[in-house]
Amino acid sequence: MNAAELTARNIQKAYEMGRGRLQVLRGCSLRVAPGEFVAIMGKSGSGKSTLLHILGALDAADAGEIRFHDEDVAPARGSEGRFVDRLDRLLRGLQRVLYVILLLLLPVGGIVFVLVPALLLAVPAIVERWPQAGATHLMAAALCLVLLGALPLILAVLLLARLALVDMGERRRTLLRRRDFGFVFQFYHLLPELNVLENVLLPRMVGTPLWRWPRERARAHADAVAVLRRIGLGERLTHRPAELSGGERQRVAIARALIHKPRILFADEPTGNLDAAAGAELMALLKRLHAEGQTIVMVTHDPSVAAQADRILRLEDGQLRQV
Amino acid sequence: MYKLFLILRYLRKRRIAYLAIAAVMLCTAMVLIVMSVMGGFLDQLKVKARGLLGDIIIDNKSYSGFPLYEEFIADISTWPEIEKATPVLYSFGLLRFPGTAQTHTVRVVGLRLDEVYEVNAFQRSLYYEKYYPGTTHLGEQQQPVIGADPNLPPIVLRDENGALIGRGARPLLPAEYQAALERSWAAGVRDNESPPNEWAEICRDANLPVIVGEYEVDPSRPPALIGEPFPGLIVGRDILAKRLPDGRYKRYSLYPRGCLMTLTMVPVAGTGSVETPIKQPFRYADDSRTGIYEIDSQHVYCDFGLLQKLLRMDAAERVDPQTGEVLGTLPPRCSQIQIKLRPQVNGRPVDPKAIAQRLQEHYHRYALDPRFDLTLSDRQLIQFIEAMTWEESQAHIIAPVEKERQLVTILFSIISGVSSFLVLCILYMIVVQKTRDIGILKSVGASHAGVAVIFLLYGLAIGLIGSVLGTILGCYFVTYINDIQDALTALNPAWQVWDRSVYSFDEIPNTVRAGDVALVMTAAVANAVLGSLLAALLAGFMQPVEALRHE
Repeated sequence: MNAAELTARNIQKAYEMGRGRLQVLRGCSLRVAPGEFVAIMGKSGSGKSTLLHILGALDAADAGEIRFHDEDVAPARGSEGRFVDRLDRLLRGLQRVLYVILLLLLPVGGIVFVLVPALLLAVPAIVERWPQAGATHLMAAALCLVLLGALPLILAVLLLARLALVDMGERRRTLLRRRDFGFVFQFYHLLPELNVLENVLLPRMVGTPLWRWPRERARAHADAVAVLRRIGLGERLTHRPAELSGGERQRVAIARALIHKPRILFADEPTGNLDAAAGAELMALLKRLHAEGQTIVMVTHDPSVAAQADRILRLEDGQLRQV
Repeated sequence: MYKLFLILRYLRKRRIAYLAIAAVMLCTAMVLIVMSVMGGFLDQLKVKARGLLGDIIIDNKSYSGFPLYEEFIADISTWPEIEKATPVLYSFGLLRFPGTAQTHTVRVVGLRLDEVYEVNAFQRSLYYEKYYPGTTHLGEQQQPVIGADPNLPPIVLRDENGALIGRGARPLLPAEYQAALERSWAAGVRDNESPPNEWAEICRDANLPVIVGEYEVDPSRPPALIGEPFPGLIVGRDILAKRLPDGRYKRYSLYPRGCLMTLTMVPVAGTGSVETPIKQPFRYADDSRTGIYEIDSQHVYCDFGLLQKLLRMDAAERVDPQTGEVLGTLPPRCSQIQIKLRPQVNGRPVDPKAIAQRLQEHYHRYALDPRFDLTLSDRQLIQFIEAMTWEESQAHIIAPVEKERQLVTILFSIISGVSSFLVLCILYMIVVQKTRDIGILKSVGASHAGVAVIFLLYGLAIGLIGSVLGTILGCYFVTYINDIQDALTALNPAWQVWDRSVYSFDEIPNTVRAGDVALVMTAAVANAVLGSLLAALLAGFMQPVEALRHE
């Protein structure tokens, strides 16, 4: 067997469902070789999509290891991920404390909001008649106001810091999605405000900084047009998703997934929302891509669709089995 | 790149964002209008309050006044910072128009008119002096009467076709007044302060200078100065004229220029004892309008020397009350000294507060100066003297308006904070609507921070566009605020907000300051960015899978 492109070992994932816990994946392991077309089958709700999302770095597993070209996809324990997670937990705790203080202060704040203007207006009289008491009250009121004004600001800074941490912790997964993985979803997921060409260009825009875009634009444009022509949508460049059929939309989604030349294409029930003819057409397209060397990992519940793949795996009781 | 692309696209396609822009725009415009109108009101109030004052005022707040003002003025006239100083007297009196039952309690101000013209803007507040330059004085004067000169050709009025409409004697003022009128007419001075009348139209049709104001008219005789000479009195305009809703003043023929009026006053001795009331006839020489109603409805102005004599504040013999022996001379007294400062000395700006302090200390030294043989009461009067800048002396008028401006600005700024919540609500709505798009963006490699930045920049763009539009709207509204009010009043008189018969200014103040614009715009943008923060954080923390599964 060739060196694996993607390896998953003992992947576990559970969802909290109210008070209960639903264990969806119970130690899934998988190897995908370069250029391989793997289909994962399973009943509805068996966790196929969850597994695909974890493999495609869209979601994180509770436990297990995923390696892409021998590089760990999820942050390994003991490296930056753990430190980031710890810091994030600390900030989240601090955030909760601030929420409580803010909630406690709100009724006080309401009173202060009414009292402070009244006090400010009465300052000359207060200071004149009762200099010390006036100053004390004013200082107390000012302190309350500062706290009330400062707390939301501190909270905002805290949240921004947490966002930066989450961003840092997810950086590897984000880069994989940006450079090496492409996704096709059951419901196409095209942006309705953008036309076909713009939807296809989106991954290239995401991967290109603003200052490099003027140089990159023409090439990206040409690549997008070429991909769209390749899948038979060369004449529909300026059409909006709403003006396309289901099959056409799914082809646009495939074009979007291919524009940045991903190493692996993940397809989640790509024919699930199409009629038989459109589904067959789409599978022919995927087969053609596979024939050109594209690695594909596809999730489906349809045996006839799965039959087009090189290898079929079945997900049962949270574990993968070779068919 | 995708951030800028999506922001521009969302701005164009998400029409709900227009509501956020409109909210920011209206709040910006509202705060700017309030700040501009209140700021302009304050500026105009300061200018008006300044009208009758010098840069520095010396006063002891005593009805008895204070002595040695001539010596003091002579002393300080050598100071390089002092341009001019003049004494002023204040008293109270009862003004009566003979032949009518009209009486007014007034504040009587004694002035040296020629000196006051140099110290403050009093000359500009006079009505007749503007159209008949050089004819207003506070000395003895008779009443000018408009007459007809039989040697001059009569006025002949014809219509557009040349048909004769009317024919009448040419009205003429006494020579001095007529010459002054023709001088100002030739210089292009026209009366915009009085309501239009038929007489003015006839004069204009006949190509004659329009006689402005009210005069006694007697067409059966040549123009003349009639009646017994009496000292002149300048009267606050609101005492004898009625302010109309359009801001102009209607004068009455009952009070022609030069008419008689009497003033009854109560002199107070230097010791503070009240003496027998005195009554003095005056002739109405002119009327003054500073723009401050409290002044224009209560002040009358007469000659300083005359008032000093009437109030017995001039130099007098100092007599021993026991023996009747003459011990010396009591110095004359005044109530106030007004001082005009030079703006710069040796290239350095003059500090009015520092000069006021020096002047006060200088005056206080007079109390113990052996050169002056002062009584104990005169020494006390000097000890109470205070020198203050004109702003300090008018603080009772300016300070409340300044506080009001601050208060109104704070209140409206709080109200404008609502725009922040509107931006928050609208962007939150957009984030909820666009949850799946956020998932798509993250699935193609957009980072969490990158998605958050989209919504922060979106808020920034809403703030920038809203604040620019709001500034344009606010500036436009403030610039044409008077025209807008006139148009509304024309539609329905009850919609008149700025009643010119109530306020001292003819127009709603409309000063837009660059500093205010910058402040309001910055605050509006900051509000919008703050409002977008929550939505941005929500979008940023969203997990791609959850976002993609969002229903």
